[in-house]
Amino acid sequence: MEDQASSSKDDLLRNQLGEMLKNGLKTEWEERAYTSQKVNSTVARLQAVASDDYKSKLVLGGFTLEPYGEDDDISQSCATCMYYLKHRRYCELPELDCPVEPEWSCILWRI
Amino acid sequence: MANLLWLQGGACSGNTMSFLNAEEPSACDLVTDFGINVLWHPSLGVELGDNLQKILRDCVSGAITLDIFVFEGTVVNAPDGTGEWNRFAGRPMKQWVRELSDAASFVVAIGDCATWGGIPATAPNPSDSEGLQFLKREYGGFLGQGFKAKSGLPVINVPGCPAHPDWITQIVVAVATGRAGDIGLDEFQRPKTFFQSFTQTGCTRNMHFAYKVSATEFGQRKGCLYYDLGCRGPMTHSPCNRILWNRQSSKTRAGMPCLGCTEPEFPFFDLAPGTVFKTQTVMGFPKDMPEGVDKKGYIAMTAAAKNAAPAWAEQDIFVV
Repeated sequence: MEDQASSSKDDLLRNQLGEMLKNGLKTEWEERAYTSQKVNSTVARLQAVASDDYKSKLVLGGFTLEPYGEDDDISQSCATCMYYLKHRRYCELPELDCPVEPEWSCILWRI
Repeated sequence: MANLLWLQGGACSGNTMSFLNAEEPSACDLVTDFGINVLWHPSLGVELGDNLQKILRDCVSGAITLDIFVFEGTVVNAPDGTGEWNRFAGRPMKQWVRELSDAASFVVAIGDCATWGGIPATAPNPSDSEGLQFLKREYGGFLGQGFKAKSGLPVINVPGCPAHPDWITQIVVAVATGRAGDIGLDEFQRPKTFFQSFTQTGCTRNMHFAYKVSATEFGQRKGCLYYDLGCRGPMTHSPCNRILWNRQSSKTRAGMPCLGCTEPEFPFFDLAPGTVFKTQTVMGFPKDMPEGVDKKGYIAMTAAAKNAAPAWAEQDIFVV
């Protein structure tokens, strides 16, 4: 069985993505994908992005360094998202497919 | 010996194909081992024209005892309630259905169309279709709320698109061998033996459901299909993962989400674009929760499971 713990390649890319966000990359985080229509339209836009164009993924996915808001008892962070792989610290949504930090968030968060 | 008559209304013949593929027991077993006399069936009957009409008239009059009337497909009422869009043996099919249902000891609706209208009865329902005793979730249907066959039982509903072959033959055998009293029916008149458990019961993906690991692509063996791909297994009543299809698999085992085809609302969301094979969400939460689970419970369950998920649950453990 392939060991899918976070690899050095993942770690490097995760750091690069984090740096982009820390350096003020403006992402489309304001409008959350709270309806299925918004989810579909966002995913459709991401599908047009090259798989290694991580900057566009961050922008269109509306990534933030902090969890977004609070809904009842849960924080909308990568750590609680359905697509998050805890052991690899990775987003498995095919259209994003990138290493993340557990405290990050994006507009496609879902549980 | 029990006489069985099978007719098709607004149907694609899918349930007939399913019936002919039955194995436990097979369609042949019904005749050779269980003494069922198939008076006529759309794919098996040899009579045509006047000869067929005579069989039907004799069933209605009682000259032939009609023990089991099986109906597949919707009752078509268009245009304007006449049923002329679906003529059969010289008259609208709906007239035969009414008279044969009144004459039969047992009436069995096979498949979604006959049970609650299925795809043809989905809005705008141009053929003005309905099921025998339901229109979607609404009780009544073509035969009406008070209908009971001569045995005293209402229509026995065996839904599915199609119904599993063995659900069909096992119910027919139960009725033909005098065990109808053992068939407990649920609120939608489905035999409880098949429709009390969930499609998820016996699903090989249950460990991924438990650890909240999602499948994100069709055919992917890792992950649960409920979270992203619109699987309705946790809220659909069927034994698809207990009585396997072709004796070896099921939709979910093959990486295909359950469509919920044994429930009255099928097809869900009226087949609107973007709603099929995609879990519908509201504020990031599934619109349809597993049966009996509320939002607060779902949050608690998810947070705990996600946190507790072992590394292997996130990996592809299937090597061949």
